[in-house]
Amino acid sequence: ICVYLEVLLQGGAPWGFTLKGGLEHGEPLIISKIEEGGKADLLNSKLQAGDEVVNINEVELSSSRREAISLVKGSYKNLKLVVRR
Amino acid sequence: MNQMESSIQYNYEYEEDEYMIQEDEWDRDMLLDPAWEKQQRKTFTAWCNSHLRKAGTQIENIEEDFRNGLKLMLLLEVISGERLPKPDRGKMRFHKIANVNKALDFIASKGVKLVSIGAEEIVDGNVKMTLGMIWTIILRFAIQDISVEETSAKEGLLLCWKDGLALCALIHRHRPDLIDYSKLTKDDPLGNLNLAMDVAEKHLDIPKMLDAEDIVNTPKPDERAIMTYVSCFYHAFAGAEQAETAANRICKVLAVNQENERMMEEYERLLLEWIRRTIPWLENRTPERTMQTMQKKLEDFRDYRRKHKPPKVQEKCQLEINFNTLQTKLRISNRPAFMPSEGKMVSDIASALQRLEQAEKGYEEWLLNEIRRLERLEHLAEKFRQKAGSHETWAYGKEQILQQKDYESASLTDIRALLRKHEAFESDLAAHQDRVEQIAAIAQELNELDYHDAASVNDRCQKICDQWDRLGTITQKRREALERTEKLLETIDQLHLEFAKRAAPFNNWMEGAMEDLQDMFIVHSVEEIQSLITAHEQFKATLHEADGERQAILSIHNEVEKVIQSYSLRISSNNPYSTLSLDEIRAKWDKVKQLVPLRDQSLQEELARQHSNERLRRQFAAQANVIGPWIQNKMEEISRSSVEMTGPLEDQMNQLKQHEHNIINYKSNIDKLEGDHQVIQEALVFDNKHTNYTMEHIRVGWELLLTTIARTINEIENQILTRDAKGITQEQMNEFRASFNHFDRKKNGLMDHDDFRACLISMGYDLGEAEFARIMSLVDPNGQGTVSFQSFIDFMTRETADTDTAEQVIASFRILASDKAYILAEELRRELPSEQAQYCIKRMPPYRGPGAVPGALDYTSFSSALYGESDL
Repeated sequence: ICVYLEVLLQGGAPWGFTLKGGLEHGEPLIISKIEEGGKADLLNSKLQAGDEVVNINEVELSSSRREAISLVKGSYKNLKLVVRR
Repeated sequence: MNQMESSIQYNYEYEEDEYMIQEDEWDRDMLLDPAWEKQQRKTFTAWCNSHLRKAGTQIENIEEDFRNGLKLMLLLEVISGERLPKPDRGKMRFHKIANVNKALDFIASKGVKLVSIGAEEIVDGNVKMTLGMIWTIILRFAIQDISVEETSAKEGLLLCWKDGLALCALIHRHRPDLIDYSKLTKDDPLGNLNLAMDVAEKHLDIPKMLDAEDIVNTPKPDERAIMTYVSCFYHAFAGAEQAETAANRICKVLAVNQENERMMEEYERLLLEWIRRTIPWLENRTPERTMQTMQKKLEDFRDYRRKHKPPKVQEKCQLEINFNTLQTKLRISNRPAFMPSEGKMVSDIASALQRLEQAEKGYEEWLLNEIRRLERLEHLAEKFRQKAGSHETWAYGKEQILQQKDYESASLTDIRALLRKHEAFESDLAAHQDRVEQIAAIAQELNELDYHDAASVNDRCQKICDQWDRLGTITQKRREALERTEKLLETIDQLHLEFAKRAAPFNNWMEGAMEDLQDMFIVHSVEEIQSLITAHEQFKATLHEADGERQAILSIHNEVEKVIQSYSLRISSNNPYSTLSLDEIRAKWDKVKQLVPLRDQSLQEELARQHSNERLRRQFAAQANVIGPWIQNKMEEISRSSVEMTGPLEDQMNQLKQHEHNIINYKSNIDKLEGDHQVIQEALVFDNKHTNYTMEHIRVGWELLLTTIARTINEIENQILTRDAKGITQEQMNEFRASFNHFDRKKNGLMDHDDFRACLISMGYDLGEAEFARIMSLVDPNGQGTVSFQSFIDFMTRETADTDTAEQVIASFRILASDKAYILAEELRRELPSEQAQYCIKRMPPYRGPGAVPGALDYTSFSSALYGESDL
């Protein structure tokens, strides 16, 4: 079963999570770590390690980590994520 | 009576006083004795008549006939021989009074004072006054002069009448021839008196103024009557008495008279002759030619009037006077009247003079008329000369000019100019019509006025008129000729224009055609040459029509020639609108005709060539279209095999080797293609629509293929080596490969700087320029700008050689950082080689976590980035 979760992080970097994988590595783009006390950790609907990121800021990802990182780094105060669990 | 007697004491010498006294005594109241009145009346009447008969008149009644004074005046004139003032011819009383007064004035002028006599009494017919007046007259004019020698007038006059012999004796004394006195007796007083009175009447021209019986029987006859009657005798005898002594005088007088007569006759004769001579001169109507001569005649006439005639008139007057004087004298002296000879009577002279005067008038009139006529004629003649002269000047040479044939060799513009000139001349001609008519009219008038030189005038006029007619005809002819010529020239001009309008485009067409036919064509395809051939065929189709046009143009030219010749125009047939000659046109046309088959030929040759080229193309294309895809295919296969990472490198190698073998075997095709290409190039074919592949493409592709296969094989070899050297697993190798391929955008087995940068970024590297440059210098030591897979692997393996995971690296850093969450630059410098330390210092983001200090560096995110983890 796949579940999609949309979260909105606010306040700017660091967002408090780590991305791993990506098309470049031949792996899906996964959140590998949630930093304790980070913005990602303080969400009501928490993100978990192992969530696959599929959408950043309304942009559907092509699983390229470079792309994802660029999108994240491109966010200023607000970061919207859609993950698949 | 006493008074009367006492008063009758006459002195025969004239004494005025006595007469005065005499007159004083005339008192109206003292009436005359009726007998004496009767006697006086008779006597006075007879005495008056004896004088009046010389003037051709008589009186009947003495108191009546003098009432109007006319006969009274006449009487005085006769007896005095002088002229009285002109009597008034009226019938009114005052006229009569005036006349009588004239008579009385005359009497007074002779020294007689008439105190008691007034004109009115005479006019009223007062007998006594009238008789008294007559007595005064008689006294003055008849009696006064008498000087009877030694005898008182009275005595002398009052003869004893008793015996009647006194009178006879008186007569006998003076004219013995009349009375034979000796035979007379005293016894017959009456008889004697009667005899005396008869003789007196008959021979002495003394009318009976007394009655003999009265005298004899009256004791005292009226003295006045007697005195009156006797005075006549004395007058008669006075002359006779002096007859002898005066005989010579008389003879002289007579001679003078005769001489006068003769002279008069002579005068008359001369005068008449002069008149007779003069009249023809005055009647001469020969016309003169010039005004001068006529005026000379007028002057002569005036001279005549002023100088010559007056004396003649004088003569005539003198003649008349002389004549009258002579007549009077003759009459007075009882001589017969002077009778001029036949035709020389006064009346003849008078009538001759009248004729003369008539002739003069006529002559003068004629002279003046003639002068006027001549004046007019001269004026007209001068006018004629002027007008004729000016006309002749104008007309001079015009006939010759008009008959010129200058239009035969004129151009169209010339003709038009000639026509305009001619029009102007025609106007001029029309304007001169009037003048010619005037000249003719003047000539006509000169004829009517009988000009002396009318003949030459007519001659000249005729010449002018004839010439005029000729001019008219010639002018008309010239107009016709000019118009005719103009039309011809216009026609020719039109033809010329037509020729020009058609020949020019035709010439252009020919020139164009010649150009086209000789046009060098460069075609690259059969279609192109085909279209040229088609165009040429179309062109050939138009030749027929063009030839038609050429014929038409030629015919226009011939038309011009024909017109010129048939009308014998002396103009050139040069076309002013076109410089194209028939020869030129013909030459060009021949050239065109010549070029057509040549063109056919060259087109056909080209067609053949194009066909052969096409064949070559197709041939080439056929091959290229096979070879090209084959090469492409091969390239894909090769790249695919390098992209696909399934299986070990050795398998890849084998595949690649196989490809290489295929390629080598394929070379012959390339060579063959090259050969075909050569041929095509030699045929100068540079395009080929049958294939998209050029030889260059193929060549390049082939070269690329060769290099690619070589390179790829080399790469695999290297990979194998690297793997073997570095101990990289296949998976890692594959991962590296995938990464590399992903960022090898150009898919040429090389990454450029940007590709590499992107790749690093995707791997989590957050590189600054200096850091990146460092990495670049590592991976691209030769500065080629590209990163090969090998270098990439080297870089990657170097970087990840000692650690497997990001945690391990983080742990390593923590140690170096003395278990801090962050590391300081000095720590890095202390622990790592300077290059790598610098790399880390540069690359590591500042640590912002809890306990951060200035210069703290975050090695955690750095490390996870290295390991494909990105801390965000």
